[in-house]
Amino acid sequence: MRRSEPGPERPGAKCREREGMNRPELLSRRFAAMIGWLAFASLATLAILGLWVAPPDAVQGDAQRLMYVHVPAAWLAYLAFGVTALASALYLWPRTRSTVWDRVAGASAELGVVFTGLTLVLGSLWGRPVWGTWWEWEARLVSTAVLFFLYVGYLALRRIPGPARAKRCAIAALVAFVDVPIVHFSVEWWRTLHQEATVFNPDLDPEIHGTMAFTLFFGVFAFTLVYVYLLNRRYMLEAMDEGREERELEQAIAERTRAAELVDVAATAASPTVGAGARAREGDPGMRSAR
Amino acid sequence: MALIAIIVLVVVLSKNVVYFRTVSEAVAERPSDGDRRIRLAGEVVPGSVTETRNGVRFDVTDGKKTVEVVHRGDPPNLFKAGAPVVCEGRWDRGARFDSDRILIKHGSEYEPPDVDSERASAGRVAA
Repeated sequence: MRRSEPGPERPGAKCREREGMNRPELLSRRFAAMIGWLAFASLATLAILGLWVAPPDAVQGDAQRLMYVHVPAAWLAYLAFGVTALASALYLWPRTRSTVWDRVAGASAELGVVFTGLTLVLGSLWGRPVWGTWWEWEARLVSTAVLFFLYVGYLALRRIPGPARAKRCAIAALVAFVDVPIVHFSVEWWRTLHQEATVFNPDLDPEIHGTMAFTLFFGVFAFTLVYVYLLNRRYMLEAMDEGREERELEQAIAERTRAAELVDVAATAASPTVGAGARAREGDPGMRSAR
Repeated sequence: MALIAIIVLVVVLSKNVVYFRTVSEAVAERPSDGDRRIRLAGEVVPGSVTETRNGVRFDVTDGKKTVEVVHRGDPPNLFKAGAPVVCEGRWDRGARFDSDRILIKHGSEYEPPDVDSERASAGRVAA
């Protein structure tokens, strides 16, 4: 059972929290649907741009087209983990503490893990024809793999129940985020097989032009839309899941209460002494709170 | 705390995480390396590539020093004169480098094959 721990908060904060608990979605239904269709159309456009409109690279040929999905996937991983870190910080800050932020952090981290995995797979597929290897033990690749496993660990941590679960996870998310700048700057700090950043390089001078640059930026745009759409969906699922757990608990308590009452009635009918014993059980704290 | 740990880690790693050596570094460190397996990075000198019975032979340079590389096996698809390469292998008894693995380290620039031919094809599409 997941519940945010009750802390010493001002009445206003408590009120906001209750509001947050009931918030079933981040975006309005119409806006979410619009984003969804826009994301779908953008992905279709990206496929056309990346496969047909953009020219093949002078050196790498058609293999370079993998850039139009590899780079946006990596960007999305950064974005998702950034949102997780931000939401975790907002959760830790007492004035903004709300289950909404805990859910956002979890939903975003899950997407981040998926897109980090996608980045690794697409990068591997790109590396084979161009570098001549699926995998190398060099700084960019290893730090990205570390990023993947850090957040897989974070997701596992989210599943471990406890009174301070959300707080513990928020701290873990902030610690894990440290690897994001390491991944990004690994190609500057260390010698790697992986090339340096094309767009966000230290000189901020993109080394890509024309249709290729447009396709790359469009890919980043399309993937960002996909992220917004999926984040909202994942958040809704999380809220529903929590609602279900709460309902199930209430149901279980109600059933147990009814069973105890039945036993009580039966025992009273059979023997007055056992009935008194059953009534004494009502002193059980769980039972009392259930009634 | 975490920040200090990260800074220490980065400083330590920056000295030890060396994926490859440039040709001049490799030449300078050759006496201490002996026949250790190392990675040598540089550009393939145009006109130096010759096929051998079981691979290729070529010169690799970093602009300051040049080393002759004898490679066993097929070079990768993008291997050609002027290509930036990382060769994995050991120093020969002579001044040659015996490589059995070549990787291509491409740059971060991307461009169409030939600007003129692209313009020409674009013109065709317009016409």
